[in-house]
Amino acid sequence: MLAKLIVYCSYYLKSADWYRTAKLFFYDLLENSHSRKKKYFDATMICLLILSVIFLIYDIEHADSKMGGYFELAILLVFIVEYFVRGWIYSDTYKVIIEEYEKALYLNLDFNLAGVFRKAIIRDLEYISSPFAIIDILAILPSYRPLDILRIFIIFRLFKLFRYSDSAKLFADALAGKRFELITLLIFTCFLVFIASVSIYMFEYQAVGSGIKNLFDAFYWTIVTLATVGFGDITPQTTGGRWVTIFLILASLGVLSFFTSILIAAFSEKMLSVHESRVYAELERYDNFIIICGFGRVGQEIARHLHDERQQFVVIDKIPQRIALAKKRGYLAIESDASHNEVLMNAGICRGANAILCITGDDVINVYITLTSRHLNKNLRIISRANRHDNVNKLYQAGADNVIRPFEIAGLLAAEFVGQPVAFEAISGILHNRTDIVMESVLVSEKSALDNQQIGQLDLQQRKLTLLGVISDNPIHLKHKNKYQVKQQHFYFNPEARFILRHGDLLVLLGRKYGIDHFRDQVEQRRLFSRKPA
Amino acid sequence: MKNIAVFGYNRLSFEAISRLDKALYQITVIDHDPAKAALARENGFETANIDFRSDDDLRQVGIGAHVDTLFCFFDTDSENVFLTLSARALDKKLNIIAIVDSPESAEKLLAAGANKIIDPYEICGRKIHDMLKRPDINDIFDHTVFGRHDLHLAEVAIPENSYLENTHVSQLELSAQYNLILIGIVNKHLSDELHFVVEEIDRRLSVGDILVILGPSREIRAFKKDVENQFCKI
Repeated sequence: MLAKLIVYCSYYLKSADWYRTAKLFFYDLLENSHSRKKKYFDATMICLLILSVIFLIYDIEHADSKMGGYFELAILLVFIVEYFVRGWIYSDTYKVIIEEYEKALYLNLDFNLAGVFRKAIIRDLEYISSPFAIIDILAILPSYRPLDILRIFIIFRLFKLFRYSDSAKLFADALAGKRFELITLLIFTCFLVFIASVSIYMFEYQAVGSGIKNLFDAFYWTIVTLATVGFGDITPQTTGGRWVTIFLILASLGVLSFFTSILIAAFSEKMLSVHESRVYAELERYDNFIIICGFGRVGQEIARHLHDERQQFVVIDKIPQRIALAKKRGYLAIESDASHNEVLMNAGICRGANAILCITGDDVINVYITLTSRHLNKNLRIISRANRHDNVNKLYQAGADNVIRPFEIAGLLAAEFVGQPVAFEAISGILHNRTDIVMESVLVSEKSALDNQQIGQLDLQQRKLTLLGVISDNPIHLKHKNKYQVKQQHFYFNPEARFILRHGDLLVLLGRKYGIDHFRDQVEQRRLFSRKPA
Repeated sequence: MKNIAVFGYNRLSFEAISRLDKALYQITVIDHDPAKAALARENGFETANIDFRSDDDLRQVGIGAHVDTLFCFFDTDSENVFLTLSARALDKKLNIIAIVDSPESAEKLLAAGANKIIDPYEICGRKIHDMLKRPDINDIFDHTVFGRHDLHLAEVAIPENSYLENTHVSQLELSAQYNLILIGIVNKHLSDELHFVVEEIDRRLSVGDILVILGPSREIRAFKKDVENQFCKI
């Protein structure tokens, strides 16, 4: 009967939304490192911890303070509640019950309540014996006043800070990475301490004026000397004792140096991954960003443009000097080989990136990165650089959407300048947006005022715009002459006045930027107006 | 026929030379690296073996005499600056085009006397940026400037006794008569600056003005031919 009631309650909890929501809320608050709530909670708890230690210290001198007592009680309640909520989150007793019940049903056995409770208790013991939970308990105990010895555990309140600080965890991880070196050093240090303690004890035990009366004195002296503190309260009097001192001083220099170098190596190794994880965390928040592989002269130029118009991007290069340059300019940068799947995946090639530029100075690497990128993301836009003409086809085969050759373009411009210097200026001006005159496209959207209009009716000359042509994939236009294939569409150059626009067409206009923007706005306004009657 | 001297044989100079009309230009390739000079000769270009550091050798190759345009396409900026200085000292009217590797060298080359600086990496960067931001416009440029189709950008100078003389711009109607689009005009009397037609007030054409037009090559040729004709007005 009791077992049946327990099983019923377990199934009820399993299907209860409020229970799941509450649990999720507290999980976000206490455990989810990506949650904003956890950050606020951690900051609050750190403040409480510091305050509680301050009040405890204050309470030692002012035992009769009531204010301190009340505050201490409040903090204590917070700690106790936190302890039990964490335990609650750690395990789901009802899941254990349901699991055992269904197993019993399947095996056609009696449902054993004792076994279930034993499993649940084991789970709870796992939580109780975990390091942070132990620290939590020890942080609560100092408040139990009759046992004065427990005041010593006040220090564990500070240990609770480790739970709320990611930096502290990082510190622990860095040291854990050097576990072998630290253990080796610890063994050697113990050996050294043992030898030195016994030696100094043997020499100084019966010496007149010696401060060493027992083995503990020798041990104390050894530690003080090893750490280079040297209080001077115990000094060797015999020649043998002094030799031991010399030996210990020289050895301890080595020990301390080794210890210091281990720590520095641990942290410097960790700092690199810290920076990388910061870059990746930043990328997590990006949307529609661009990956630039290769930060040579071309990459630097593109990055400057993208940065100027606040387009988000990340730079990947395996040469440290280039990554340092990118960071100095404030760009997000990853020092890695972009031809590895893992590097591109971490950079967000399947999440958030909408284009990747493969523009290193080496065609072999560009082909490889292009192929890797296409393999990882079928829909990504890939623009690749080819230094040699022969490699253009290879890049298209590898999956590039566009291939660009820097020396081809530069050579073309040089030739153009020789033949037609004025036209060269026109090209440069429009291409670089250096002049006020720009070339832009205006879309004829559905229900636009331009839809079904003839070119002659647009009155573009009055608006100080020049129509160069229309880009369209609409087959109704194919009867017109002066058309040129542009990928899946056609460019209709200098369309005649009778050319009728259809929705989806793109007008290619030459004019001042605000003139084109004004034209676009007017077209959109008419569109909004025409919608009202409908 | 114009004379062009190309110093430094590499991918860039190969691309530039390949786009020049052999019927219009006499091209000589000079490189102090014998292997590169041999490669240029192998590709069908006329070559000369001189030391660009010697003014006598520069004169021998025609600088200061029959060479109209100089390409400074050495791989290192210092060599390009040196050659530009030497050539400018020999010929004040020489047309000098130089490539640059690092951005800070561009000003030095201009100070040395170069007429035009071409930075392949900057141009490539800008073009990739255009591919990202304005893919439609970029495609149009590929078909006009980069000549994969029949559309071309051209300039036409108005000669003496042309029927265009004293004509107003609005009277041209190039789009109707020739299937051409007038992009801009350079008025030689005012300045060398290009004025785009879209924003200019109506003005009169004079001898020496330069028209920048966009259109199919056969229409461009027809227009150029008619411009020479004094009595072509229809």
